[in-house]
Amino acid sequence: MDLIVTATAQGLLWGIMALGIFITYRILDLPDMTAEGSFPLGAAVCARLILSGVHPLLAALAAFIIGALAGFITGFLITKANMPGLLAGILTMTGLYSINLRIMNRANLSLLGKQKITDLLSRYNLPPQFDTIFMGILLTVLIITALVLFFKTELGQAVIATGDNEKMARSLGISTNRTKILGLMLSNGIVAAAGALIAQDNGYADISMGIGTIVIGLASVIIGEVIFGNLSFANRLICVILGAIIYRFIIMFVLLVGLQPNDLKLISAIILAFCLALPSLRNKLNLNFFNKKEVL
Amino acid sequence: MKKMIGFISVLALILTFAFFTNQTKTNTATKKDLPIVGVLQLTSHPALDLIYEGIIDALNEEGFIDGETMTLDFQNAQGDQSNLNSMSARFVSRNTAVMVGIATPAAQALANSSQEIPIILGAVSNPEEAGLVANNEKPGGNITGVSDLTPIKEQFELIKELLPEAKKIGILYSSSEDNSIVQAKQAAEIATAMGYETTTLTVSSTNDVSQVSSSLASQVDAIWVPTDNTVASAMNTLIAATDANHIPVFPAVDTMVEEGGLATIGLNQYELGKLTGQMTAAVLKGESDPATTPVQYLEQGEIILNEEKAKELGISIPQTLLDQMANQ
Repeated sequence: MDLIVTATAQGLLWGIMALGIFITYRILDLPDMTAEGSFPLGAAVCARLILSGVHPLLAALAAFIIGALAGFITGFLITKANMPGLLAGILTMTGLYSINLRIMNRANLSLLGKQKITDLLSRYNLPPQFDTIFMGILLTVLIITALVLFFKTELGQAVIATGDNEKMARSLGISTNRTKILGLMLSNGIVAAAGALIAQDNGYADISMGIGTIVIGLASVIIGEVIFGNLSFANRLICVILGAIIYRFIIMFVLLVGLQPNDLKLISAIILAFCLALPSLRNKLNLNFFNKKEVL
Repeated sequence: MKKMIGFISVLALILTFAFFTNQTKTNTATKKDLPIVGVLQLTSHPALDLIYEGIIDALNEEGFIDGETMTLDFQNAQGDQSNLNSMSARFVSRNTAVMVGIATPAAQALANSSQEIPIILGAVSNPEEAGLVANNEKPGGNITGVSDLTPIKEQFELIKELLPEAKKIGILYSSSEDNSIVQAKQAAEIATAMGYETTTLTVSSTNDVSQVSSSLASQVDAIWVPTDNTVASAMNTLIAATDANHIPVFPAVDTMVEEGGLATIGLNQYELGKLTGQMTAAVLKGESDPATTPVQYLEQGEIILNEEKAKELGISIPQTLLDQMANQ
């Protein structure tokens, strides 16, 4: 029971990160590796600021802004320097490693005994982990609402159009360079904010905490899609969060069964590959047990 | 859509249930059965596993046996930092009598989860710098433990003894490990105080080791390496580069000497674990309070020397050192 609670709490926070990945991967149709650098960037900025006495909420907001800057650099490399998206992301991510070390001045910054976002709920004496859950629900609702509202605006629609069909979007007079950069900024801002929140929840920022974030993010997006099917935009965002929670359940289950720790990464890769292949497998084998209702 | 709402309601139901049962559990948790000892380890790694073995052996010697006089709850986060948190929460919700953290992130996760339950640190180089205790001498809170700070000063004295003519010392470590940065900073201070000229270079992954170490080897008379996982993994690459320049390597860890380093004065990980276990037992018996128990260090280091390597590099070993080794 406790494990389900902590997995949910962790899933909510990681789900925010997955929302950032969703914007680049699904909306812009651009696999963006910047996230592996902007995630620890957000953690580093947030830890530094909290240590110098800044309020944890403001620190997370600052992480968002600086993460967006990282996204801007990738966007600039893609649109102005005409680089392939994957390469541009990898370059920014690599550069951010040194920048993160500069910001933290070391490899690990401790936040013990400092004020954290979840401390804002401490006066209610919630059971363990529930402060993270309530804060996580509050933040995800806020972020999803903001995203839904944004993508309803003309600018947001232009971003969606760019990802759907760039040529068509350009012929409609949309500056696709600008919308791409905007999407990348939004995505990396959210990823960095998630880095800030997770650093606060863990009690430290670590230079290597970004490793594997892309896989976790993609897994959350895809698990959500595979399990819950094709839904309206707002519901798809909710499914990303649910996907992140389910991913945590799977990891928890793998750990409980007592599989070899060294195999954990392989197992996550296999789960992800399976989820990615499931739609086409289902078509080939004509297995409609998952989507029966939607098919009819 | 239906599935989504279904999943959310099931999850909400479970969480509501957990919310209320947890509430009552924390209120009525006065059942005094066997004391629970929670041990949280960062990952499976030979050095960390040895520490864990030492902890258990020391606890057994002090009369704490799993299932008879205590309940052992051992959790291994398998290197995934997001797991540390869940496992610490588990300890707190089970009302453990004492928690033991092996390696810095594990200790930080524990410290983050409770300000009341005593926490014993197994192998954290400098608890004060990691923000775990207010002061290494007087921790002041619920945390104390054992430092695995390598005897850097003794290691540099060993360099002086083996290479009396050396003037320039290179320091090589990876920038992604906090532990290494702390050690390298200290090593540079100690070396400068001893009159050495130091050059420090860092690597960010094992891929950099080859190039960085050949560049470093061409500039110095000897290279010192801290307890560093990245360099340890690429030890063969480092040795290939230093052998080409006929430069000896003085690593901080004994296993790295076996892999081609020249010599070190190292800490025995098992003994570190035993010291940690003894401190844990003392807290369990109520004999000590973390707030007033200073962070402890393992005093005696063992000299480990690679005689084959010394012959290869044409370094003669002083008789005094050989005698010292025979006595340990």
